[in-house]
Amino acid sequence: MNRIKFILIVVMVLGVCFSFNVFAQQPPVVIGLQGPLTGAEAIEGEMAKQSVETAARMVNERGGVLGGRMIKIELVDDACQPKAGALAAMKLVSMKEVVAAIATYGSSVTQPASDIYEKFKKVNIAYGATVTHLSERGLKYFFRTCGRTDTQGIFFADQVVPHFKAKRVAIMHDNTSFALGLAEEARNAALAAGNIDVVYFDAITPGESDYTVPLTKLREKNPEVFYFTGYFPEAGLIIRQAREIGINAVFVGGDAAINEDFIRIAGLEYAAGCYMTQEALIEYFTNPEAMEFKAKYQEAYGSLPSSPWPVYAADALMVLAEAIDKSGSTNSDVLVNYLKHEMKEFPSITGHIGFDEKGDRVGTGINLYVVNPDGSYSIVKI
Amino acid sequence: MKLIIEQLLNGLTIGSFYSLIAMGYSMVYGVMKLINFAHGDFFTFGSYMGYTLLVMGITFITSTLGVWGGMIAAMLIAAISSGVLGLTVERIAYRPIYPAGRLPAVVSALGASIFIQNAIMIIWGPRPHAYTSDVIPGFILNIAGFRINILQIIILLLSFLLMGILYYIVQKTTFGAAIRASALDRETAALMGININLIIFFIFALGPALGGVAGVMVGMYYRKISFIMGWNFGLKAFTATILGGIGNIPGAMVGGLILGVLEMLGSTYLSTAYKDVFVFLVLILVLLFRPTGILGEKIAEKV
Repeated sequence: MNRIKFILIVVMVLGVCFSFNVFAQQPPVVIGLQGPLTGAEAIEGEMAKQSVETAARMVNERGGVLGGRMIKIELVDDACQPKAGALAAMKLVSMKEVVAAIATYGSSVTQPASDIYEKFKKVNIAYGATVTHLSERGLKYFFRTCGRTDTQGIFFADQVVPHFKAKRVAIMHDNTSFALGLAEEARNAALAAGNIDVVYFDAITPGESDYTVPLTKLREKNPEVFYFTGYFPEAGLIIRQAREIGINAVFVGGDAAINEDFIRIAGLEYAAGCYMTQEALIEYFTNPEAMEFKAKYQEAYGSLPSSPWPVYAADALMVLAEAIDKSGSTNSDVLVNYLKHEMKEFPSITGHIGFDEKGDRVGTGINLYVVNPDGSYSIVKI
Repeated sequence: MKLIIEQLLNGLTIGSFYSLIAMGYSMVYGVMKLINFAHGDFFTFGSYMGYTLLVMGITFITSTLGVWGGMIAAMLIAAISSGVLGLTVERIAYRPIYPAGRLPAVVSALGASIFIQNAIMIIWGPRPHAYTSDVIPGFILNIAGFRINILQIIILLLSFLLMGILYYIVQKTTFGAAIRASALDRETAALMGININLIIFFIFALGPALGGVAGVMVGMYYRKISFIMGWNFGLKAFTATILGGIGNIPGAMVGGLILGVLEMLGSTYLSTAYKDVFVFLVLILVLLFRPTGILGEKIAEKV
């Protein structure tokens, strides 16, 4: 009896050693994820973690990278605070096995964190930091899968307006820094495009009820496309009052203008057929990568990420896995070179991804959505 | 020309909202000498009560009474609930403070305003609500190139009707004479056998009730209601009251309509951003030449 036990134990020990041996030959590729796991933005951090883990599962189930090495995620918390963000970045760069970092959500956190990654030569991909100047600092290892604040304005001028074959564009904002910023970027991009006339550019006062006067002035300019960059309470009133005084221009809202409250305020009869420029709403993506991501995410967590930024974090993981696999290296300089020069139109979850010299995403996650007659949205193919 | 007519119509519509709210201000000020800062929030409350009845009880109300019946029911509910709220606020926040003088009562009114505003936010939530188009259909008529919103006409007629009724009550009936007498001199009126408590009850029920009806109309017209809208409308209505002559009810009607039209013309021909500057400039000019407002009566200095 004792002998049998002994033999069993020996076999088990051997088995463990053997399997350990297999893993030892194929150590995982560790990628860091820095995000706000605690604090006011904890929900974003939680969804980023879930999204990145889902993307890692997608990569691992296809056989991992570099001939069978699995992707492993190393989490660090930055609480969406600049100071904690710098510490989190220090923690990641101090781990030898971490080859690159997905970092991070907040712009003000990304700024100090990316300086540390730069100093220690680690590729870092931001997924929620949209402030324009982050990529204007000449950093070599900084990338982002989210757009810049000005991407949306450029998208509007370069893609949306030509899509409607329009020449005369009216842009209305509400003087808040976000709406004014988007409106100015859209106007600058439209002026740069050359063949677009910005026939109206003005602000309304948010919080009022009657916008018929500015709208009457807008009507006199006879625009073909009407871009409103403010928020949904005013957008709902504006589309209603615009249609009632006879403005028939195509109505396009910025990413804060259109949601279910907009539809309720405007009424479905006016809301249907309105468009919006919007960051990646994963719910409406139908490309195979997004479908796989959605299925896996839903299977694990029961719902979908409610904001676009976590999905951009998942994009970052897909991009890193692709770069490591195709370049055959985990060396930061090789990765930077591959990401900036060889990766073109890589089909990721939120669409095709490439990077320019500054590390900004080429090909945006932003899409044009239309409100359907039943109040749902769908992506407009441009 | 088309522009002027359209904007005049829009201005009159806004003006009629101001008038309805301003009449409540004016009545309360006339009798109590109290600037009732909570008045704008009675208006918001009425709007939310109408919303609750129409949008939340849609299948019941609109299907039994029809679209028009639903709207009238909403206005009635708004009038009653705002009236009850007005009486409650008077009892809780104003009556215990009257002996302390006028200033504490104004502060108490501000407090009541903040309280009601936040109560509305807690009950209905901070997001704006909408009178949806299944209960309030849009009616646009195209007459000779003019796009006219039928709802606008209805709102105008209805508010003129309400103003007319109130005007009749205040100017032509014995009870109205009692109200005017109380406004002139409360003590003497009481000595003449006028039941001051009944007058106070009446003005604190009717003023908020008119505000509540205006609240439902604003909801019908603009669709969007929010818990803070009472402040904006209340402030404008207060301005209208001063413009027309505070304490004078026909003055409040005229003041509201003039203010609405001025606002529209100012923003059309000057600038949207400066429309309030224009409105207040006119207010200052009127007060320079007629310190008691357009229809304000001369107040005899007490010696």
